[in-house]
Amino acid sequence: MELAEKLEILADSAKYDVACTSSGVERAGRHGSLGSCSAAGICHSFTPDGRCVSLLKVLYSNACCYDCSYCVNRRTNDIPRATFTPRELAELTIGFYRRNYIEGLFLSSAVLGTPDRTMEAMISALRILREEYHFRGYIHAKAIPGADPLLVHQLGLLADRLSVNIELPSADSLHRLAPDKKRAAVLAPMRQIASETAQNRCELQRYHAAPQFAPAGQSTQMIIGASPESDRQILHLTESLYQKYSLKRVFFSAYLPVVQDSRLPALTTRPPLLREHRLYQADWLLRFYHFSAGELLNEDNPIFDPYLDPKCNWALLHPEYFPVEVNRASREELLRVPGIGPKSALRILRARKHQHRGLPELKRIGVVLKRAQYFITCDGYLGARGTRAEIAGALVDPKAFGVGVQQLSLDSFLPKALPDAAPALHQLTDQGMDPQKAAAELRQEAITCITRRM
Amino acid sequence: MHYAADVKDVIYRYDGSFQGFLCCVFESYARREIPSAICAPQQEQISLFEPRQILTEEQKARRVFAGAGRLGGQVKYRLTTGFLSGAPEKELILLRFLRTAFAIGSGAAQMLGDPDVAGAWELERAVCNEAHLFQEFLRFEQRGNLLGAVIHPKNFVLPLLRGHFCSRLPDEDFLIQDATHKVAMLRHGSEVRYLQMERYDPAPDAAEEEWQQMWRRFFHALTIEQRRNERCQRTHCPKRFWPDMCEMTPLSGK
Repeated sequence: MELAEKLEILADSAKYDVACTSSGVERAGRHGSLGSCSAAGICHSFTPDGRCVSLLKVLYSNACCYDCSYCVNRRTNDIPRATFTPRELAELTIGFYRRNYIEGLFLSSAVLGTPDRTMEAMISALRILREEYHFRGYIHAKAIPGADPLLVHQLGLLADRLSVNIELPSADSLHRLAPDKKRAAVLAPMRQIASETAQNRCELQRYHAAPQFAPAGQSTQMIIGASPESDRQILHLTESLYQKYSLKRVFFSAYLPVVQDSRLPALTTRPPLLREHRLYQADWLLRFYHFSAGELLNEDNPIFDPYLDPKCNWALLHPEYFPVEVNRASREELLRVPGIGPKSALRILRARKHQHRGLPELKRIGVVLKRAQYFITCDGYLGARGTRAEIAGALVDPKAFGVGVQQLSLDSFLPKALPDAAPALHQLTDQGMDPQKAAAELRQEAITCITRRM
Repeated sequence: MHYAADVKDVIYRYDGSFQGFLCCVFESYARREIPSAICAPQQEQISLFEPRQILTEEQKARRVFAGAGRLGGQVKYRLTTGFLSGAPEKELILLRFLRTAFAIGSGAAQMLGDPDVAGAWELERAVCNEAHLFQEFLRFEQRGNLLGAVIHPKNFVLPLLRGHFCSRLPDEDFLIQDATHKVAMLRHGSEVRYLQMERYDPAPDAAEEEWQQMWRRFFHALTIEQRRNERCQRTHCPKRFWPDMCEMTPLSGK
């Protein structure tokens, strides 16, 4: 089989993996080797689905011996199969890297016989890259659940970031949809990676030249919408993963129906993109805004409001925190204001050493005044007064009512509901309503609903 | 405004170099005035105001630059990167910023609420953001032993790309041509030179064509049709970068 064809098959099989980031490790180039890493990560391209291409994201092989019902690569699915050789993969990475197409390699694999055998093949490819080509770019490798701990250790010494997919948010769903995978087998390598990374950090403090074990930490991903868990369960799981295993990131991937199965949502189901987006927003609130999962969702409200982002929702439910005085509030208080993020909070803190802030200054700093003005005071003066309906109108998320032209084919110039719009909008347009009209009506309804809640 | 000077009906003309600009700053202090415009030779404009030619003098430029250096790294960085901008009024914005900084001290860099400081900060941010985008979207192609790339930036970003690519490709020779400003950066062995270069035609040979085709096929294989969102794609990767990116052309043949 030709190399380009192999690449196409294995990239196609890997495309549902979400984590394509090259962040978390800073490493300058060095003579005699190739490549460098930047801590913030570098995206190199964006595909028409709006996702970034940062790494050469491929599977080592897609010839899987497991039969997980949600996966395209399960053994009962009739698709072309391919497997790289270690050298092919290394040469491909170097060729792409030199041309500035990619930032490094994201290597995952289907289970090729046994987990151990798969991991050995992956390790041999990475070894060629690191030791023969002296590649100093980014490598993200997936640890295969059920592999020997020694192999995970070796993989961690070669890769910058490791990840183990938790796949589904609960043990029940995992047992039901992926009978070959065990929850314990997923958590064991995760625990091992967390403890080895912590230990490695101590070693590095003592000996500067100690070999680094996964310096960019570990991440995981789970599928949203294939199983019945609520947003609240997912968010609590995410929080506990961050706390217990000190993960760098938890990724969510909206379930795309790829197979007809009675255990799964029907093939015509739309991927829950808006729900995925809300989960990511909440994930950001956990990691950068000092929120806890319990604050965002509780038993009474186990799912996110599709029309409000989680932070605005929290702000509306807690009027006692507001207004916040911009010239005196602490960083944590500022971060709770809708429209102020970590960057603008930092800029406010720095700038107020020199001068007092009014609304025009805040605007120049990058605060989204549209939302923030109702929640702040500047030297005792309220940013803006608005009726409840006006405030609700400023806070609703326009993404939920997205209508636009998606050029799937040359003749489709009619505006349609965008894929990441609210499910209710899709329902209305499916019933034959004009998308623009439906969006306007839905927005009005959402605003009325929010106003009533305030 | 934190400085004592009046806006006068005068236009400064300088030679377009950074040193020339520093001499304009010197002139502005010497005469206690702020010009209503500062023009580089490329952007001659007819105006009612009286033009004054500012001569570039090494000595004066050095004095101003040393003074800016005493205001701390952040002010100096904003001045030097801001000057790389392609915005038409960058000189006046930077002059106002520099006057504020001389009046206040190094803390001026943080005073983003001030319109003069915010203007200079916008310039710096635009230049740095564009440089970062070119670190992402620049595409090399191999020709002999040399990796070559063409870019069409709005700002003069080559000096900001230099460190990144020299670190990324420590032992490779490469050339990046800035087609807007007709300048190329050539890294050969251990030295980097800037050359005047009118044209650089990428002409991939068969092997290079194959690499590009492979990359294109990879890129198209990665797309998930059900999630198609072209608006999001254009937000992250604006269309003006596409002509220089080989994967953005449709798959040919196959």
